[in-house]
Amino acid sequence: MHKKKLTRTLAPLAAIIAVMLIYMAPMAFSQEDMVVVPTSDFNAPERPAAMFKHDAHNELAGLEDCVVCHHGKTDAGLIDLENSSDGESCSSCHPVKPENGATPLMRAYHLQCTTCHADALKGPVACGECHKK
Amino acid sequence: MHELYNFVSGPLAWVAGAFFVLGSIYRLVSMYILAKRKDGSSLEYMSLHYSLRSIIRWLIPFSTMGWKADPLMTVTTFAFHICFIAVAVFLSGHVVVWNTAFGFDMWSLPTQAGDIISFVVIAACAIFALRRFMLPHVKNVTKPKDWFALTLVVLPFLTGVLAYHQMGPSLLMTTLHILSGELLLALIPFTRLSHALFTVFTRAYMGSEFGAVRHTRDW
Ligand code: HEC
Ligand code: HEC
Ligand code: HEC
Ligand code: HEC
Repeated sequence: MHKKKLTRTLAPLAAIIAVMLIYMAPMAFSQEDMVVVPTSDFNAPERPAAMFKHDAHNELAGLEDCVVCHHGKTDAGLIDLENSSDGESCSSCHPVKPENGATPLMRAYHLQCTTCHADALKGPVACGECHKK
Repeated sequence: MHELYNFVSGPLAWVAGAFFVLGSIYRLVSMYILAKRKDGSSLEYMSLHYSLRSIIRWLIPFSTMGWKADPLMTVTTFAFHICFIAVAVFLSGHVVVWNTAFGFDMWSLPTQAGDIISFVVIAACAIFALRRFMLPHVKNVTKPKDWFALTLVVLPFLTGVLAYHQMGPSLLMTTLHILSGELLLALIPFTRLSHALFTVFTRAYMGSEFGAVRHTRDW
């Protein structure tokens, strides 16, 4: 009798905790803890994941404006530098093998990361500096 | 270091490419003019049929007397040339560069396979070098320009393997790798490596001479 009552109160509680955990799970891997750029979009990555401590990197590089990297997409399908897309993965607009002529994911990363470093004369530009074994 | 890398991976790559393309055209055209002046009549005898017959024949390992005479050299030569082209064009790291620079999306060798055949090229160069050291009949005809050509070829492979395996400072090794590759490309038309341009024509000439004039085979 007591047991049944206990389950009745605990079950919803457990459900709420479970939902909260599922909801929070992505936060556990949020940009604060990011140490490499995720390779999960590539189905058989050939190189070690690229070093990238999201927040520390941006602080060191003095990047305050998220839109520098997380640009949006205008209605015309062009880069939107007004509206940030942070929280959205690059691959949502840059698939690994796009069919609509978008810049493919690997090229998007290489262009964005390497061009800035080469122009800034700071930060990694050679393969082995980002894809560290 | 970044300035040097930017220069080597940017403007210098175009300069090296221009040296290769324009240099090759220059060498081929001046060789044609020379051939016409010195041996004009032989041009009349050039035959597409006998040219191709000879070229194709010599592309098959062990199908000619020349290839049968020295099996180690034959295997090394074929392995070297096939792996050289495969690495230069289809190495996965190179295909990434073609992709970033030009947006090409082309097939590449599996990364592991590319690593292995890079070592095959280096081993082949070692055999070429040992041969020049050890066999008297080769040693006697070896000139400094032969050593120079061999060094030009092996350097991009040595630095490439070091850069890929991340031995030594990455940025420096990668810069040296690109630099040595550009040196090789730019000097192909002007060194012993120009055989890459001329071999097809020497074979065509031999094939035509033997086939159309002497009515025999050149293998
Ligand atoms: C130097 C480029 C750069 C800058 C600047 C930058 N980010 Fe990011 N951020 C990235 C990359 C790369 C990822 C990984 C994207 C992916 O996985 O598709 C990412 C991922 C994220 C994620 C998702 C984390 C996850 O786990 O998927 C969030 C949220 C985010 N960034 C927020 C921000 C905010 C907010 C700012 C501005 C304060 C910012 N970023 C500035 C490059 C940058
Ligand atoms: C909301 C959609 C969207 C998101 C998210 C997005 N992009 Fe883009 N990106 C675009 C559009 C649209 C273009 C212009 C068309 C194209 O080149 O695909 C573009 C272009 C680019 C280019 C320029 C390509 C060139 O040829 O110059 C780079 C580099 C790039 N994106 C990198 C990234 C990176 C890295 C991320 C993640 C941090 C990212 N993008 C996230 C929409 C997006
Ligand atoms: C808008 C410019 C910019 C973009 C885009 C950018 N970086 Fe950087 N990055 C810098 C600068 C500047 C530094 C050098 C900071 C210093 O050493 O003062 C740097 C340094 C680094 C470093 C070495 C320092 C550290 O944080 O460990 C890494 C690794 C790195 N970047 C990775 C990346 C990756 C991966 C990307 C693409 C997802 C990227 N960066 C995109 C500007 C940029
Ligand atoms: C500035 C940092 C940076 C440099 C330099 C860089 N990459 Fe990347 N690369 C990335 C990022 C970021 C990704 C996307 C996700 C990841 O790998 O972490 C990526 C993805 C890739 C991928 C697809 C994923 C995989 O592992 O199969 C390959 C292949 C690759 N890079 C090869 C190279 C090669 C070869 C070079 C040198 C010519 C190079 N990269 C230079 C940052 C870099």
